[in-house]
Amino acid sequence: MPAGMKPLEKFLKKQTTALTRAGGFGEKATGTGTSRRRASLSRVVPFFRETSPESGPAREVFSPDTEEAPCWPSATADIRSPSLSSDEQSSEASLDTSWTPLPADTPDNLALALLDSVAGKRYGNCTETLLDDFMLTHPIFLASDRFQQVLLQQFGVEGKAGEGWPSWDGAERKQAVLSVAFRYLDTYRELLQEEGERSNSFPKELYLCAVQQLSQFPELVEDVLKLQRWTEILQCPSSEEDKEIRKKQVRPLFRHFRRIDACLQPREAFRGSDEIFCRVYTPDHSYVTIRSRLSCRVGEILALVREKLQYSEDQPTQPGNLLLVAVTSAGEKAAFRPSDEAVFTTLGVNTHLFACEPSELESLLPLPEEIHWSPGDSKLHDMSAEEVATQLVVFDWELFSCVHEVEFVCYVFHGEQARWRPLNLELVLQRCSEVQHWVATEILQCQSLPKRVQLLRKFIKIAALCKQQQDLLSFLAVVLGLDNPAVSRLRLTWEGLPGKFRKQFQQFESIADPSRNHKSYRDLMGSLRPPLIPFTPLLLKDLTFLHESCKSFHGELVNFEKMHKVAEMVRSIRRYRSSQLALDAEPSPSHLQTKAYVRQLQVIDNQNLLFEMSCKLEPKDM
Amino acid sequence: MPEQSNDYRVVVFGAGGVGKSSLVLRFVKGTFRDSYIPTVEDTYRQVISCDKSICTLQITDTTGSHQFPAMQRLSISKGHAFILVYSVTSRQSLEELKPIYEQVCQIKGEVETCPIMLVGNKCDETSAREVETTDGDATSKKWKCAFMETSAKTNHNVKELFQELLNLEKRRTVSLQIDGKSKQQKRAEKLKGKCVVM
Repeated sequence: MPAGMKPLEKFLKKQTTALTRAGGFGEKATGTGTSRRRASLSRVVPFFRETSPESGPAREVFSPDTEEAPCWPSATADIRSPSLSSDEQSSEASLDTSWTPLPADTPDNLALALLDSVAGKRYGNCTETLLDDFMLTHPIFLASDRFQQVLLQQFGVEGKAGEGWPSWDGAERKQAVLSVAFRYLDTYRELLQEEGERSNSFPKELYLCAVQQLSQFPELVEDVLKLQRWTEILQCPSSEEDKEIRKKQVRPLFRHFRRIDACLQPREAFRGSDEIFCRVYTPDHSYVTIRSRLSCRVGEILALVREKLQYSEDQPTQPGNLLLVAVTSAGEKAAFRPSDEAVFTTLGVNTHLFACEPSELESLLPLPEEIHWSPGDSKLHDMSAEEVATQLVVFDWELFSCVHEVEFVCYVFHGEQARWRPLNLELVLQRCSEVQHWVATEILQCQSLPKRVQLLRKFIKIAALCKQQQDLLSFLAVVLGLDNPAVSRLRLTWEGLPGKFRKQFQQFESIADPSRNHKSYRDLMGSLRPPLIPFTPLLLKDLTFLHESCKSFHGELVNFEKMHKVAEMVRSIRRYRSSQLALDAEPSPSHLQTKAYVRQLQVIDNQNLLFEMSCKLEPKDM
Repeated sequence: MPEQSNDYRVVVFGAGGVGKSSLVLRFVKGTFRDSYIPTVEDTYRQVISCDKSICTLQITDTTGSHQFPAMQRLSISKGHAFILVYSVTSRQSLEELKPIYEQVCQIKGEVETCPIMLVGNKCDETSAREVETTDGDATSKKWKCAFMETSAKTNHNVKELFQELLNLEKRRTVSLQIDGKSKQQKRAEKLKGKCVVM
């Protein structure tokens, strides 16, 4: 079941008001129609311009290219997907003229071809690329368990010459297997650590095999020691003490449980086994707070809620099946299925979880705090654009760095890769939405016209600084926030803006122009050198387009060219992150205040409410 | 975050395991369970009558540990009435209420206008009793608040606890529906000017 696919598809297609999903894409029809889980709309909607009740049809910022039927690119044709960004087109690895793509083959055979290559007998200096391609994408076509099996088998095989491994000696073959195994362990380390004993069996097995062979192949001794270290790394902490320590650390995710001291610490990557607190509401807006793993199944969440509410007591009327529902601040609802996992990070900024019976679903109402707003003083007026921009950029880098490479692959291919959840990537997307809505919220909360004009200036300046620091995530998020129809309709406010700011903003808007496949944005990207943060929603759109325009399989054979292209995209992300952002020295107290502010943004993401506020500030012309 | 102006917010404090959740759930759902599930923070809403109209009774059940001091301060400042729970089987739990009481005083300032109820729960546990009724009573006199012993398990005094708390509220007239009142009785009281039945 594609957890993250839904919102991404939404912003590939024209935005509709219905939550229903159009038919499936690609070679694997995913989902079973109406009972599928619907992700929160408010997570997706920001990537489009919002429709305002009075304006015409929404002008979309990111509109889809032509949806083509899945293709099967031939080996010799120019396989330039239109969604390849210009910087990729200049990447060295893919234009290596000696590169020949691996022909389609079964997953097992591909694994063997990889081992061949690593052992140096084929593909020459393209081995590294092939290895990288395989490591990043194999979960799409080859289950981890199966891959581990193949490696173990090949390690133990006493091949004779001519049996698929011609002219090799045993040591070379075994070293090739070990080399690939280590690369695999390095790449998937965090995932494997999550799984505990189950994953530890692989290095253990290999270690035992290798130890047995040491007398015959003494040159393997280094590798054997390495394997032993891996068994220690992947070992579950068995001491009770360790378990206790891990039990006590609940990480803040949702707003109510954030603590300032934790906010100011550098962000660490979330793992599926991390525990969080979460409020689950009932239809009357009562709530219970549950404690749960991030990767928890919806069925388990409901069991915790039932337990808290003492539902299974001997009551005259047993409540029927409980549903877990995400309700956005605007009142849109999406029901989860019991088998859905890791839902917490997929929620919109002000989306709340409700537990209700199926009959109560229709009448669920958003929380009062999402449909009313009491204006207060914003601290933003006292902060400089420079400080705010710096803190935005620093935080974006923390969030972006937390995203494991494999998350990019599994966000798009999650139907095939069920073991890893792109939690940190989802949080980056959530942040993008948050920043967009923050901009709109701040402006619409400002009652005084001259102050509002000042805020416009400040935001345009902040955007400029983010762009200058090559953080395109916040740069475009601010621009899109200013493009929110509730904001752009404030004619008087915009008219108060000095000409040079308006001009600058128009330039920025043109970068967000989606025409000709986002050419302006891609041109800008092409001119930048790392370190830089790309506009992540578009990056994911490109990956999704790639996924949907090419089949992964043709029958039983894997389309490895597609895998190569996917890996190329991930490598470009690797390049973006390849050098360090120069960080300032310890922030002063005022910087700390700005830092805390930026990391605890209070936003309104209920578009109806934003529009109401806008009309109060500048009523509609009659 | 805007509060509904017609909410009446009751907050329940006390050490871990004294029975706060049991009391609240017994009142709200009518059920009781022996198993112990530590609370982080739960809030239950119920419609009650208030000043000849209706409002929402909001009961916040808090954590017995001290994980979220900021959350605790916030619920005190937003709260209208407070229930401080200890277990009669644990002298320690009565001691642990002291700092909470002091924090309520500090944040609320005028404690006289603020209904506070000291509750000795688990009064069904006769053999394990450590705190005598007189001790609880003495503490309540010292703190100038009301006092009651309850048992969520046997459902003793639970509804009375909440009704009495509402009766203490002088800033407005709040009341629960009391079971067993006949229609006539209700109408009579209505004529007398008291808001009663929901």
